[in-house]
Amino acid sequence: MPSPMSADHHPLVRKLESIFTLSHDERQALANLPMQLASIKADQDIVREGDSPSRSCLLLSGFACTYKITAQGKRQIVSFNLSGDVPDLQSLHLKVLDNSISTISACSVGFIAHEDLREICERFPRITAAFWRETLIDGAIFREWVTNVGQREGVSRMAHVLCELILRLRAVGLVEGHTCDLPITQAEFGDALGFTPVHVNRVLQQMRAEGLIVTKGTQLTVPDWERLKEVGEFDPTYLHLENKQAAA
Amino acid sequence: MTLTLQPVRVATGFDEEGILVLDGDQRLVAVLTRLDGEYGDVSGHWYLEVGFGRLSGRDQHTFVDLDAAKDWMRQRLA
Repeated sequence: MPSPMSADHHPLVRKLESIFTLSHDERQALANLPMQLASIKADQDIVREGDSPSRSCLLLSGFACTYKITAQGKRQIVSFNLSGDVPDLQSLHLKVLDNSISTISACSVGFIAHEDLREICERFPRITAAFWRETLIDGAIFREWVTNVGQREGVSRMAHVLCELILRLRAVGLVEGHTCDLPITQAEFGDALGFTPVHVNRVLQQMRAEGLIVTKGTQLTVPDWERLKEVGEFDPTYLHLENKQAAA
Repeated sequence: MTLTLQPVRVATGFDEEGILVLDGDQRLVAVLTRLDGEYGDVSGHWYLEVGFGRLSGRDQHTFVDLDAAKDWMRQRLA
């Protein structure tokens, strides 16, 4: 089924354009990629480790995460996935998934058949380059996360991941001023940052007390972006955003 | 296993009520803190702030009360 979205509002186009300059024809081709649309409730697996999918999943809206589980059943979230991400794009070339992907909030997703992805890559070599760039940036994000979780403590570790989320959300138009919707629970932040939920709770309380963040329900506001960046030792280079304004 | 509990204040950033837990040889095996304040459904529970030896690890442990904490620690130390 053809995608009903225009190129301007297509999450995949918007995401790729944040890291790569696309031509008019490339944008149209991406917007016309056939997708099987699905609505998935919160906290549901989209794909699981060991799967051999014949399609990749484009996150149209909502929040998801990529994770792995230890033999003892402990979950490590290795990245958060946002609108426009194709978190299992690698399954186009790596036949068996070595991680799982789960929704965090309710999500709209579009499943794109691998054969359609192969076809668009053959017709548009620059789209292949854009996908390559996207997966390279994923690698950069994983490197940054290992460094963050391994070497930064408490408030700094949390501030770093919040800075990343805000820039990535801003790049796809999901930040209003200094406020965004962030439906990630304390338990999920714990699994991502290697904190217990109690520790996450204390860190967030401390950040609120210090005026680094303001939270209202799932809404997050950052009153002083420069200070949050400083506390999180955040350098956005690793996100390799094209739009320098978004990266500022 | 006899456990001795000594009250203490813990500087978690929130100056919480805590307990030093010593084993039968008077060795420190754990620090528990009481989760007062905004902790949602675990408010009022006891939290294993840090454990040593057999009580170490990254597992999160919160306990409804001190008896539940002691039962768990005795089991792990037995």
